[in-house]
Amino acid sequence: MRPYRNAAWWMMMPAAAVMAFVGVVPLVAVFNYALHDIFSLQDVHWVGVEWYEEIVTSTRFHASLGRSLLFSAVILAVQVPLGVGIALLLRGMGRGAVLILMLVALPLVVPWNMIGMMWLGLINPETGMVGQALAAAGIGFDWKFTALHTWILLVVMDTWHWLGLVVILAYAGLSGISGDFYRAAAIDGASRVAVFRHIELPRIAGPLGIVLLLRFVDSFMIYTEAFAINAGGPDMATHFLAIDLGEEIKGFSYGSAAARSMVYFLIVITVVWAFVRISGLSRQEERG
Amino acid sequence: MRGILLRGGVFVLLAGFILLPLAQTFVLSFMSTLPREGMVEGQWSLINYRNIAADPALVASIGNSMIYVSLNVALCIGAGLPAAYALSRYRFVGDRHFLFLLLAFRVTPPVVLSLPIFILFANAGLVNTPVGIALVHCLFNLPIAIWILESFISAVPREFDETAFLDGHSLPSFLLRHLIPAIAPGIGVTAFFCFIFSWVEVVFARILTVTGGKPITMAINALFSFQTDIGLVMAMTVVSLIPGVGLIWFVRNHIARGFTIRA
Repeated sequence: MRPYRNAAWWMMMPAAAVMAFVGVVPLVAVFNYALHDIFSLQDVHWVGVEWYEEIVTSTRFHASLGRSLLFSAVILAVQVPLGVGIALLLRGMGRGAVLILMLVALPLVVPWNMIGMMWLGLINPETGMVGQALAAAGIGFDWKFTALHTWILLVVMDTWHWLGLVVILAYAGLSGISGDFYRAAAIDGASRVAVFRHIELPRIAGPLGIVLLLRFVDSFMIYTEAFAINAGGPDMATHFLAIDLGEEIKGFSYGSAAARSMVYFLIVITVVWAFVRISGLSRQEERG
Repeated sequence: MRGILLRGGVFVLLAGFILLPLAQTFVLSFMSTLPREGMVEGQWSLINYRNIAADPALVASIGNSMIYVSLNVALCIGAGLPAAYALSRYRFVGDRHFLFLLLAFRVTPPVVLSLPIFILFANAGLVNTPVGIALVHCLFNLPIAIWILESFISAVPREFDETAFLDGHSLPSFLLRHLIPAIAPGIGVTAFFCFIFSWVEVVFARILTVTGGKPITMAINALFSFQTDIGLVMAMTVVSLIPGVGLIWFVRNHIARGFTIRA
């Protein structure tokens, strides 16, 4: 058991000071802006919760929220099983596993504003490798005007970008399992499903929790890549929450943008809180 | 036998999927993509890389990115190591709340805080300097640094600390001389994740560089115009990948360690 010592806060000071400066102070400022109508820094009027009312009652917000939730759901449904599956295949491969981990980590180091551009280049029917192949096969891939195709492109691109994180974290959990567990399971005649359910899943639950959280938040607030592909089109089909916010900031509608930021922050924080409650409780039992 | 074939097939597909966009970028970067004298479009050439070297703005942007990313890594490890040590070894008032705060800020979308951060940093004179970007990237990197370091420190038995303190080491001297060498892979993995998340981020990097100190990402954006030299853009993208690929190689054996979360 770790000893109780409040003097340990001295060691927390540098980190706490940095987080206060770049996190807490700006957040309080956003909260304050959201209660005002801001024409310029000199011309500011108190409006109370009017911005919030306007946002949460607008059908446009509901539509964007629905699209973002659907996008996150699709992303999690595709990437988590795929990533865990690959991590399971990597188990016990030794050096080969390192090679695959390096491979899947590659897209993580690509600057975000380049990703949309790389993929648009790839599916260009005249110059792109995939675009040419699709055209030769007679498949018309119309990401510009067909909503379904834009969605497919976004999901494939996001999977390309983030699959590595899922694989790395799932593999991190799996590699801690000692071979004894597998031998014991083999002696008991446990099925592959039972091994996964009772041996592997508990070990990867922790890292997988981080993955779920990070992938949920990042896909829920996707901006740079989605904007690069089709700027929210066609016909608003990929108009996600963050794109609404980007438009308001570009339009200098600061009060409204701040209120919208607060709404998004509250949604995200609620999810995180629920996650911590659920995973925190199970962890307490584990630690005893 | 069937298992091996299946596994091989999956990995070949995976490699194709991951490498295809990179391959296209790589190939284009070695092609002349604009009509030039004495060159056909699509001709193999090193012209794009020569153009990068000849353009001071592009060269400067590579330097800018390297500076703020290195500063950010130093800040995250410097501030994160004592905090991770405290969280790993002691309980104290508000420790769990602090962890929740870290998690909350790690998942806060940058675009939510971009506006006040710009005003705050403008008032503090931190716009257009690498220091500003290095500091603001701590918002999402410091939590990551603390999580990873904490899990590596927790793997070191407590007796290790006690022996060092009995030998008369003070806390700073223990952290520097004993703990850092003992968790060297953890420092490497932390540096890797802080590096990549800072290197690829664009929202803060854009708003905090109005007139100067442009990072590599913004320099690439500035290359787009009525007649974009795609070859040059791709060459610049390839250059932007080099440090990250180097780091992947550096931490390859430890990359899948150090992720346990406590909150």
